[in-house]
Amino acid sequence: MKTLKKESILHLMLLPGVIVTLIYAYGPMAGLIMAFQNFEPLSGFFKSEFVGWDNFKYVFELPDFTQVLWNTIIIAICKMVLFLLVPLILALLLNEITKQWFSRVIQSAIFLPFFLSWTILGGVIIELFSLNGPVNGVIESLGMEPIMFMLNNSWFRGIVIGSDVWKGMGYNMIVMLAAITGINSTLYEAAEVDGAGRWKQMLNITLPGMMPILVLLGVLSLGGILNAGFEQILIMYNPTVYQGGDIIDTFVYRLGMFSMQFGPAAAIGLFKSVVSLIMVSATYYLAYKYNDYRIF
Amino acid sequence: MKSFKPWKMLVLVMSMLLVITACGNQGSKDGAAPNSQGAGNKTNANSSTPPDPLGKYPEMVTVTEVLGYNPPEDSRTPQGITPEQNKYLEDLKEMLNIEIKYKWTVPQSQFEQKFSLAMASGDLPDIMELNMKDFEKLKKQGILGDLTEAYNDYASPALKKYMESDGGFAMSTFTSDGKLLAIPAFEDPFLSTQLLWIRKDWLDNLKLPVPTTMEELDKVALAFVNDDPDQNGKNDTYGISLQKTLFFWGFDLRGFFNGYNAYPSVGDNQTAWIKGDGDQLVPGLIQPEMKTALGKLQEWYKNGILDKEFALKDENKAVEDLTAGKVGISYGEWWYPNWPLNLNVDKDPKAEWIALQIPGLDGPGKSLVPKLRSNKLFVVNKSMKNPEAAIKMINFYIEMGYKKYKEDKGAEKGYVYNWFNPRIYNPADIETIYTEVNKALEANQEEITIDDENYTSVARVFDATKDYLAGNTEKASKGINWGQYYSRAAKDGGWGVTRTIKESGAYVNNEFYTLPTATQVEKGPQLDKLMQESFTKIIMGAPLDEFDKFVASWKSLGGDQITQEVNDWYSKEAVK
Repeated sequence: MKTLKKESILHLMLLPGVIVTLIYAYGPMAGLIMAFQNFEPLSGFFKSEFVGWDNFKYVFELPDFTQVLWNTIIIAICKMVLFLLVPLILALLLNEITKQWFSRVIQSAIFLPFFLSWTILGGVIIELFSLNGPVNGVIESLGMEPIMFMLNNSWFRGIVIGSDVWKGMGYNMIVMLAAITGINSTLYEAAEVDGAGRWKQMLNITLPGMMPILVLLGVLSLGGILNAGFEQILIMYNPTVYQGGDIIDTFVYRLGMFSMQFGPAAAIGLFKSVVSLIMVSATYYLAYKYNDYRIF
Repeated sequence: MKSFKPWKMLVLVMSMLLVITACGNQGSKDGAAPNSQGAGNKTNANSSTPPDPLGKYPEMVTVTEVLGYNPPEDSRTPQGITPEQNKYLEDLKEMLNIEIKYKWTVPQSQFEQKFSLAMASGDLPDIMELNMKDFEKLKKQGILGDLTEAYNDYASPALKKYMESDGGFAMSTFTSDGKLLAIPAFEDPFLSTQLLWIRKDWLDNLKLPVPTTMEELDKVALAFVNDDPDQNGKNDTYGISLQKTLFFWGFDLRGFFNGYNAYPSVGDNQTAWIKGDGDQLVPGLIQPEMKTALGKLQEWYKNGILDKEFALKDENKAVEDLTAGKVGISYGEWWYPNWPLNLNVDKDPKAEWIALQIPGLDGPGKSLVPKLRSNKLFVVNKSMKNPEAAIKMINFYIEMGYKKYKEDKGAEKGYVYNWFNPRIYNPADIETIYTEVNKALEANQEEITIDDENYTSVARVFDATKDYLAGNTEKASKGINWGQYYSRAAKDGGWGVTRTIKESGAYVNNEFYTLPTATQVEKGPQLDKLMQESFTKIIMGAPLDEFDKFVASWKSLGGDQITQEVNDWYSKEAVK
């Protein structure tokens, strides 16, 4: 009680932040009521008719929903795994480079695409993989048949996943490099004395030392199991690859924006959030149980 | 910690909060100002003076609008001009004391999204341009203002003449419970007739006859792919222009399907409704003729007549190919020469495009023509204080057609007509131009003599025609002059050919002309996705029997219900 009094002024200073969070993060949650209404924008939340679970039923019974859900999960999981693996390998490799300037240049080059928006990159990638694009140029010069990447369902998924990982891998790589730097250097010295080579050092010191950050990144990414990258896919897809590339977000977007079905769109949004919450809680629990790791 | 003065910190935080909130207030004040300004002067404008269609408000009236805009059509328009700088706005202010404030302006391609968002948030402007679907939605939500009184009191004689030119057919479609809710910008339905545009110089190069049947078109298109029609020694051409939306407003395949007696759509991705056996309407999209036509497209895709990557292309890419001389055949309406064919003519002086009635199975085919051509409606928000201002603005736009306004009000001065809303054309605009220009040409006149509100549009085409025929490129490039002439005035041009089709009765009507039914609104996008996905796949090589699957799914996903609703309407309310 005494400390509370002493720190009261500090708590007071926290207040604006709390209020803003309440208004902008928790306030809009009231809008979720839309998921249970036959929502008409101009009647608002109060006058729109309540329809219970009808919106959810409607959405789950849409013939395309299973396909869309499946696409989302496949794309999201592939992205999640690669977003851990690729940056990890990159970070470990970069760590082995002794020439400082060289490693810096590589780092920056890898990090750069992270800052470009999909609006630009999407167009670039479509051009790259088009029938007359450079990629097909190489394929043809090798004497093979050109491939219509962007119009082929299996290729399209691969390109979506690959390009997103390529674009975003720099971020996780930097985080992991930072984790490596944080490992106590005396451990390496001790290992050298014991006769461990670079490979053994990596396996027995670097990797275990990075474990907490790997778990953290993994846990945080699991919440996004139903986020497969809306902006990217919206820009890159076309009707021919709906079958393999249409994800929940693009589906909701078409449902909500073009046919103005706000109720069902909100219902899917709520569904996504609930799934995310479950995933995050579950992995958090597992990480705690098996790795004794906790974020909070 | 001893020197820490908590109250100082508190003051700092509070003052920062104050700044933030003050900024917020500022913003909303700015936003609210125009409305309150507009509200004040309605009463003194109305009560004292009798309604004058072009009366100037004593105090400035501000109306809000939103705008989706295409680039100016006329290449003489000053570079970099924005919708806010459109000279029409200046004149409007001067003549009527009405000021237009745009809540936002976006390129046309983003308009639908942006407007959906505005509808969702309820943040709508005073005057809106709607399509039928949005009209229905906003009507249902009771947001549309009643225009009956404003129209009766303020519509100029010209506007009334236009509106009654179809016997009040279009207006009655948008009247509900005796309230006029929209001014429809309807036009001659035959403006929607698809023609076949083809490079005559390529035909001549390859010594091929003008195609009149599908079989002949097939040969020509194949020759355009394989036989180097532009004679540049390179294999860089393909047959027929197409982009990813199969039923669109141009560079699409409506006319192609019509040639197979299949009538899938009028161009908005919704199906067209044609007369079946007996007194029933049937959806053209699922008729067996479609399957034959799709089979042909599949073949065309395989042998390179269609671009291998058409499914990735939008209309801009299609236009690029036309302009660059990569493709020599396209299905489109009367206005093609005006854009984009003029670009190709300017780029390649040898290019010569001609318009043909679409090829059919044996001899020329019948194009689909809607009963009512009115994709644009002008409505006012119920909350608008001066609904008559909307009518006055329409009067203003029509008035600008008189000869006395023509002096230095061209595109080169910054007048961009297609950015001005609300704008209503003479429904018989093109026909008037065609007859008047041809009359003047036959009489060897130097100038147009008519003096009514049609003057500007007739004179513009007449001048361009004169320049084109005399090879004069001082005022505009050859392509621009040719475009005006060949779309509107030439007897064998866009409207000329359309007229002969109209006269010879070589068309099929889309019988459904009213607002979309409830199920159409609800299931439309889903059915559209289904169609787009199935048809694209079939064209790109999926088994043709996919079409039968498509028909079954279309029916069960709401198609049957829509057919029922459409026929209910047809038997009860349609004017047959």
